[in-house]
Amino acid sequence: MSIGAETLRADNIVKRFGAVTALDGVSLTLRQGEILGILGDNGAGKSTLIKILTGYQSPSSGRLVIDGREVTLGSVDHARSLGIECVYQDLALANSLSVYHNMFLNRELLYGGPLRLLNHRAMRRRAAESLAELGVNIPSVDLPVERLSGGQRQAIAVARAVTSNARILLLDEPLAAMGAREAGLIIDLLLRLKRDGRHSIAMIMHNYAQTLDIADRIVLMQHGKVTYEKAAAATSVEELMEIVRREYRAVRTG
Amino acid sequence: MTPVHRRALEAFARWQEASILIVALLLIAWFENANHDFLLTGASLENLSQFVAPAAIIACGEIMLMIGGEIDLSAGMVFALAPFVMYFAADAGVPVVPALLLGLVAAGGVGLVNGVVTLVLGIPSFVTTLGTLFLVNGLTLTISHGTPVTPPGGQMLAQIMGAWGYSEILWALAVVATLHVVLRHTRWGLHTIASGANETGAREAGIRVIRIKIGNFVLTGVLAGLTGCLEAFRIGSIDPQAGGNQIMFLAVASGVIGGTSLAGGSGTMIGGLIGALVLGVLNDGFTLIGINAFVFNIILGAAILAAMLFNGYITRLARQGGRR
Repeated sequence: MSIGAETLRADNIVKRFGAVTALDGVSLTLRQGEILGILGDNGAGKSTLIKILTGYQSPSSGRLVIDGREVTLGSVDHARSLGIECVYQDLALANSLSVYHNMFLNRELLYGGPLRLLNHRAMRRRAAESLAELGVNIPSVDLPVERLSGGQRQAIAVARAVTSNARILLLDEPLAAMGAREAGLIIDLLLRLKRDGRHSIAMIMHNYAQTLDIADRIVLMQHGKVTYEKAAAATSVEELMEIVRREYRAVRTG
Repeated sequence: MTPVHRRALEAFARWQEASILIVALLLIAWFENANHDFLLTGASLENLSQFVAPAAIIACGEIMLMIGGEIDLSAGMVFALAPFVMYFAADAGVPVVPALLLGLVAAGGVGLVNGVVTLVLGIPSFVTTLGTLFLVNGLTLTISHGTPVTPPGGQMLAQIMGAWGYSEILWALAVVATLHVVLRHTRWGLHTIASGANETGAREAGIRVIRIKIGNFVLTGVLAGLTGCLEAFRIGSIDPQAGGNQIMFLAVASGVIGGTSLAGGSGTMIGGLIGALVLGVLNDGFTLIGINAFVFNIILGAAILAAMLFNGYITRLARQGGRR
């Protein structure tokens, strides 16, 4: 499926913490079926941007438009009700709970009746089905999450966000601290989601080469601003490195 | 290990309470061998059940708290407070069953204070409940003038509430069964585990962690108060010195021996019941063998440590066997 309509637009987002300006007028757009890679140094404002897009923090000024409608995100729940889900680096998984319990955490399937008991069987089956559909391969959905590898855990967290009907998926360094094989799991999963074309995905990344492989478009953030934006196919690791190199040379000589 | 052995061990490990059950059975076999009156006489079985029941009931509350990463040190003092509230309510003319319920409400009230101070004011539960431990103890001693009284109500109520030899253990089994279902088969239980395993994550998933934990503090208070009333009816006397830190630590130890993690995130009610049974078997067994009372606590302490180490060892062994 090709890239579709605009699902999210941020216009001139500013976020100040007292005297510190974390975001200094960030604008970006995200379209359906697209993967956007957000690159930048530590302190460039990437995490702050994610927190604003998930409703965790509110911007000092600027506009957010979701599906063509301007919104003020009041809370994480509000953002979630609009289809925005974020997978944080800590993954928000309960390690002692099974995979299927984690996938249905706070959206549990219950039996009818006054006791409202958990329907473990249905959750187990649905979790296994969704994971198979997404091509996430784990030994059993009954295993506690602590028994899985880092890549498998990340995949579970992404799968949970996807199966909760998220349409706009925000990923905070999905490939951080992962070996090549583990990263491969997640890259396959993201590319499969892109092929489905139902989601818009924005991911914060560190590794330029991986980003260019996965993303359709990349933006580079520096000092709370988007300083560079291009289709992934139209740029290269060398070009991105050159921009960053210029930056630190300027700091050292300036 | 052959694959068959490994699979068997894995299945066994998945049954969380298995290792502590082995410990309990070994102890029972050993004491039965050392003294044939240990289990097979009615009197000693009744005696054992009356040791196990109060520890098991309070353990259920402590286990819910510990799974969520909290603890209630004041439970033993709430145990002593609740029957006095019942007594004074009945004394003031309230019928005995509502008076009993008032006792439980007071116990739950202490739990509510524990929960609100811990979670809303952000004080560690160890400190909060250490404070309420002394506070509630002083309150009980003050209102009772330090003097025991006789529980209100007729024979019928007394029999149901603990005076009949096995009624307390039946209460304990009912509480354990109910809370086992709550822990394993309701959202409340699942969210309690999630809050203990990853509090931030649970919050991000929209779980109301504060509400869950305060609820578990109230639950522990009510269970401690219920146990205090049961024991008062069983003994036929309401003693301001009853319960105390001894019963609270027995309950916490039951939970931990049964496989509940003090760090939060995992635990089992049935394990807590078996943990209380292990403590009861040690207590009765050594008494029947005729161990000197001074030596007794040394042996009990060592036995608790040994039981816990064995339990942990079995669990670890099974996990290694099952690693993929």
